[in-house]
Amino acid sequence: MLSPYGLDIIESCLTCKMRADRIFCDLPTTALQSFEAIKYATAYPKGAVLFVEGQAPRGIFVLCKGRVKLSICATDGKTLILKIAEPGEVLGLSATVSGKPYELTAETIDPCQVNFVKREDFLRFLKDNSDACFKVAEQLSDKYNNACHEVRSLGLSHSASEKLAKLLLEWSSKNGEAAKQEPRVKLALTHEEIAQMIGTSRETVTRLFADLKKRQIVQAKGSTLVIRNKMALKALATNN
Amino acid sequence: MESATQQRCLDCALRPDRVFCDLPTNVLAALDTVKSTIICPRNMVLFREGQPAKGVFVLCEGRAKLSVCSESGKRLTLHIAVPGEVLGLSAALSGGPYEVSAELLDNAQVAMVKRKDLLGFLREHREACLHVVDLLSQDLHIAYDRVRSVGLGRTRRARATSL
Repeated sequence: MLSPYGLDIIESCLTCKMRADRIFCDLPTTALQSFEAIKYATAYPKGAVLFVEGQAPRGIFVLCKGRVKLSICATDGKTLILKIAEPGEVLGLSATVSGKPYELTAETIDPCQVNFVKREDFLRFLKDNSDACFKVAEQLSDKYNNACHEVRSLGLSHSASEKLAKLLLEWSSKNGEAAKQEPRVKLALTHEEIAQMIGTSRETVTRLFADLKKRQIVQAKGSTLVIRNKMALKALATNN
Repeated sequence: MESATQQRCLDCALRPDRVFCDLPTNVLAALDTVKSTIICPRNMVLFREGQPAKGVFVLCEGRAKLSVCSESGKRLTLHIAVPGEVLGLSAALSGGPYEVSAELLDNAQVAMVKRKDLLGFLREHREACLHVVDLLSQDLHIAYDRVRSVGLGRTRRARATSL
């Protein structure tokens, strides 16, 4: 089925070809059938807010297609992006399980397909399906790992340049680029959003990129960034 | 000092107040067969960040400091764990290295469950798996609160008082 946002909506999890590659979705047929009965397949345009930090939890959002920005915000408007969620991730999980308010704000950065499950239905589903319960534990473990990584990066990095270098190295280790001499990074975020990921200002990010280019550590080719000198970037990341 | 915790989880008077331990009798009996109780001195390091996860440590008595460390050795405390908390849970489940270091702040009683035994136990007992999901959610709330305080200089409590 085609949606207004150009997405090819997958109506049924049972026929989804991608579920084998996704932690939460790779469930036995019986559990998937139960999940089918409680989920609502929905499509969102870019820029839609799935839930807001502090809101009472309504349920979980399984991200099928597209990407979602997860952020926290201060009362003065300062925003910190914790993660860009990829397809296969379950959003709003810890709040839905614990009944505490959503810890983060989730906003789509692409047109997305999301499977929504109401809180009561999801908790009942977990009680009845131990495989799903295990998958949820795995997802929560992964999120905890990511949160610890974030605390380490924000709290123990000495400078904005160190944080930016770490972020670029992290991005360059994905999509089979890690082993390459000059890995490429597709910059899908603006300088403002990168600043929100490392807890600094847009101006600082722009200045740091200019400096990295001047020192020929990175080279911009359109929206792709080529890391020309990985060793120098690693040295920056370790504050050497 | 007389202790209310026991070598056997089945005999422990404190278990109804503890998320992980408040399990049906048959599940607790199964837990008793896979865990080993150890008495540990203050300042002992239960596990270090980056070490492969050997298992989980249920804190029966005493407190533990959970911290992260930079390459330069600078340390940041994430949380002070209190009795009833299960340490090393996410790493033991994911099979990755421990994300944090855990150091005891008091003389403590700890129940250790090896990773392989824990996974088998959770697969056998859905109630325990649900408790683990609950605990992980709580751990995650604590971690996000720390991200908030480190990254934005505020905590949930600070925000509530500012309203």
